[in-house]
Amino acid sequence: MRRNRLLSFAIGLVALQVLVALLAPWLGFQDPFRQVMVQRIKPPNALNLLGTDQLGRDVLARIVYGYRTSLMTCTASVALALVLGGSIGMIAAYTRGWFDRIVMRLMDVLFAFPILLLAIGVIAIIGPNLWSAALAIAVVYTPIFARLLRGPALVICESEYVLGAKAVGASDARIILTHILPNLVSVILVQTSLLLSAAILVEASLSFLGLGAQPPVPSLGLMLSEGRNFLLLAPWPAIFSGLAILFLSFGFNLLGDALRDTLDPRMRSVAGVRA
Amino acid sequence: MTKHRFAALLASTFLASAATAATLDIAVDTAPAGLDPHLITAFNSVLIVQGNIYQGLTDIDPGLAVQPGLATSWDISEDGLTYTFHLASGVTFHDGSTFDAEDAAASLRRVQSPETASPLASRISPVVGIEVVDPLTLKLTLDAPFAPLLSSLAGIAMVPAEMETDKEALQMAPDGTGPFKFADWTPNGYIALEAFDGYRDGKPQIDEVKFHFVPEAATRQIGLVSGEYDMLPAVDPATALQLQGQPGVTLEQTRDLAYTLIGMNVTDPALADPKVREAVNLLLNRDEIIAGALFGAGVPAGPLSPALTEWALPTSDFSCYTPDVDKAKALIAESGVALPIKLRMVVLPRQDAKDIAQIAQQQLAAGGIEVELINQEIGDFVQSWKNSDFGMFVSANGGNPDPDQYFYRTFYTGGSTNVFKYSDARVDDLLDTGRNKTDMAERKAAYDELQVKLACEGPIAHIAYANLTTAVGPKLHGFVIHPMGRLSSLKDAVLDD
Amino acid sequence: MTPKFLLGRLIDLAFVMFGVSILVFLMIRLIPGDAVMIMLGANTEITPDRVAELEHRLGLDLPMPVQYAHWIGGALRGDFGTSIWTGRPVTEEIASAIGPTFELTFLAVLVGAGLSIPIGAFMAQARGRGAEVAVRVGAIAGLTIPSFWLGIVSILFVSKLMPGVSMLGYVPFSEDPLGNLQRMVLPVFALCLPMLANLSRLVRSAMLDALGQDYIRTAKAKGAGRRRVVYRHALRNALIPFVTSVGVSVGYLLGGAIVVEQVFAIPGLGRLVLGAISERNYPLVQATILTVTFAFVLVNFIVDLLYATIDPRVTR
Repeated sequence: MRRNRLLSFAIGLVALQVLVALLAPWLGFQDPFRQVMVQRIKPPNALNLLGTDQLGRDVLARIVYGYRTSLMTCTASVALALVLGGSIGMIAAYTRGWFDRIVMRLMDVLFAFPILLLAIGVIAIIGPNLWSAALAIAVVYTPIFARLLRGPALVICESEYVLGAKAVGASDARIILTHILPNLVSVILVQTSLLLSAAILVEASLSFLGLGAQPPVPSLGLMLSEGRNFLLLAPWPAIFSGLAILFLSFGFNLLGDALRDTLDPRMRSVAGVRA
Repeated sequence: MTKHRFAALLASTFLASAATAATLDIAVDTAPAGLDPHLITAFNSVLIVQGNIYQGLTDIDPGLAVQPGLATSWDISEDGLTYTFHLASGVTFHDGSTFDAEDAAASLRRVQSPETASPLASRISPVVGIEVVDPLTLKLTLDAPFAPLLSSLAGIAMVPAEMETDKEALQMAPDGTGPFKFADWTPNGYIALEAFDGYRDGKPQIDEVKFHFVPEAATRQIGLVSGEYDMLPAVDPATALQLQGQPGVTLEQTRDLAYTLIGMNVTDPALADPKVREAVNLLLNRDEIIAGALFGAGVPAGPLSPALTEWALPTSDFSCYTPDVDKAKALIAESGVALPIKLRMVVLPRQDAKDIAQIAQQQLAAGGIEVELINQEIGDFVQSWKNSDFGMFVSANGGNPDPDQYFYRTFYTGGSTNVFKYSDARVDDLLDTGRNKTDMAERKAAYDELQVKLACEGPIAHIAYANLTTAVGPKLHGFVIHPMGRLSSLKDAVLDD
Repeated sequence: MTPKFLLGRLIDLAFVMFGVSILVFLMIRLIPGDAVMIMLGANTEITPDRVAELEHRLGLDLPMPVQYAHWIGGALRGDFGTSIWTGRPVTEEIASAIGPTFELTFLAVLVGAGLSIPIGAFMAQARGRGAEVAVRVGAIAGLTIPSFWLGIVSILFVSKLMPGVSMLGYVPFSEDPLGNLQRMVLPVFALCLPMLANLSRLVRSAMLDALGQDYIRTAKAKGAGRRRVVYRHALRNALIPFVTSVGVSVGYLLGGAIVVEQVFAIPGLGRLVLGAISERNYPLVQATILTVTFAFVLVNFIVDLLYATIDPRVTR
């Protein structure tokens, strides 16, 4: 009962943020790109509930649209990593042998890089912008998904119904898609949610270092990065965007955590993943 | 450990002050890549060495006038082709050796040598003969009169003669004649200089100058306010605005020689037409850009800085500096270029440049010029700039005290930094006149015409000269700001305990 | 632990390091804007002669496989080349930057792991709905606070609270032990918070599990003190996930150090590598990344060995 309530809370928190981001254009927020020079770095007031930034843009509107940016890139990158890494992990577990050994060692090579460093390298190659940050995150998370899913997939591959399916001559693709994948859904749900939470922080770190979203794109990390230059005079863009990053990442992490409890209480000891 | 003892340790840890006597702590954003005065171009590298560790034959004062440096006087021949410098006696290098004409000659040869590949070489390119007359007399012969020579020499550091053949040593271990000598360098940490006992005007009062490398603007600001640092040299307008009125902080300001600009590639079919370039100038509202990106701390820029009082024309002389969207549209229509004009604008990775780009993007859109902003990392930016791989770019340039030093390489057909591929016969003529005539009136006339021409239809829309602001903490007295950003006044400054 | 297991892990380690070396070598060369252009810089005279001369001096005119062979051959003999900007041996540059990062990471692990045990144990005592929710929310918040944001906000806060306290930059411990520790307080805090949150939760759940186990009840019945019981038995139980988690965390700490060093102006490996990437200092980037990944791989190798020692079944 209590678990369900926590789960409902987590879902509510995430859904609220996602909905606001999705529906932003219809919710009557100001234009996040409009510069009003006479309204530069104003503290929160009736017109601009969270104040304005250094170009006189509404901080609230930029945060809401920043949610869109963050969610869009992070969802895309985690989805890509899930498809790539998940396939690698499952196929490696299913085929074993040399494929498993070589591919997983390659994953180890990627995994050996500190997350941020690998992402910085990828971005340096393709040039800093929002989508290269997304691609960088995908590259970084591919080995993580591969490693996370290979373990449970191994257990399932040894199970009697998979062995049975093999015995009756089911095709490999069919076994992976209809027998292995469905059994991994709970792991995938939990890990995707936790990694989304982490991806939001990584995206923010990259934008903070000037390697993610570029002006004038509204992005939470970029707002924080630009806002920190005005910390003494106008701390609100930096503080509010930092809080927004925290809430978003927090929501997904709580969701993953609650899902883990609900779906599989034994998974508790898996270490949280973070940049 | 008990809780109390831990608390006591924590308290004593916090209360211990690390301040040592008479150390001036300066925070800058990036570490220099090297300290060889003949190789470095980065502002922060020059800031550390020029006037502190090294000196030139001449010097440029805060009013941008040429003053004696290591040469106490000089004679110029009638035809302007021979310069004879009389050097100061009793000057020693930090290593203890004596400075004489041999060192001066070797230093100039070192800059000119292709092996050194010094970016300063072009500043003394007309010098064809370097002759040591006696230990304190140096004679330079030119192949053509070259008016900017004296101000150029201020930027060429005098190094010991044996460095002429040693291309590596000075990068890590500078050795000059300045008031401070190099002491210590922790990469990414700090560079420390200490007062030089043998300095010719007496040992400076400040014992040690430390340049700390602090990448975060917020950290530098808070550090200055909290007393951790005593000076932030050449802060950006946003920082200046924030430090204004903070307790104990004084802002020293002067007009900057450096300027922000929007460059235009004249090989672009639209920008090839001078009318379109003039339309760009008419669409840009410089006052609004200055208010927005520079927080009002600056003035609209013509091709020359108003700090060059003898040369610069007021911007009111440039017709295209009054924003006029209709006139701009009419000019574009006249040119026959179809709207919308789509351009890629690459942006220097600096906050003021990024803000200028965002504002300019909106202003240009009003005239049907659609600009896509490409924010690049510095390495990429330099590459794009160098390969002329841009429609437009937003950047910042350091200025020079003589018009020739900037104009010639930038606007002459095939000039070394003419990345715009700009070529105009009249401009080339005027540039030659300005360079080869030593008569002030003739030079002035040429540069006046050039400024008017370049301001509206040149390949650069000059945006703004910002105020050069240096923020100083309460302990430092006697610092005088220099429009070229130099810290040479530190030799006479005093530091409270 | 069998020799075969050890050998297998060593081969894996060598393979991973080999892969990393190739990846790093290619990565830095794929980045547009090469070292020569950046060295020549904007606003200077660039001629084909100068470009060719510099390329030759830096060895960039050789074919890539030859460049790699030169580099890796030297690296195996301990010669990582010279930094193309300063001309100093790369190993010297890394040696001077490794101290601050090592200290930062070491202290963060020490504080994070050290505090997590009492905090986790304390949280295990707090039962009931309110405490449960508070623990969870607190732990997740600790895990999801952006460390760079925390760093900046804490600098702002401390400078207002205790003006005049030196908390920026770095002084070696050997020169000024107190000054060193004083400057480490905030960065270590910002860096270790996520790890602390994560480990505390781990300790707590292991304790709760242990408290419910039969042998603890037995031990208690035998009269062992409550505290001793909890610590001795529960901690042994929590050891494996704990050690694994610490090992993985080291990787994240090394990454997080990049940002924290940036904020607190600490001259460590993170800043060295960021600077080296932006100036395309190939030898320095290669050697620094190799060092950092080697540290990470090595820590996890040690963790694997510990693992095998704690739980011999792993080696099968």
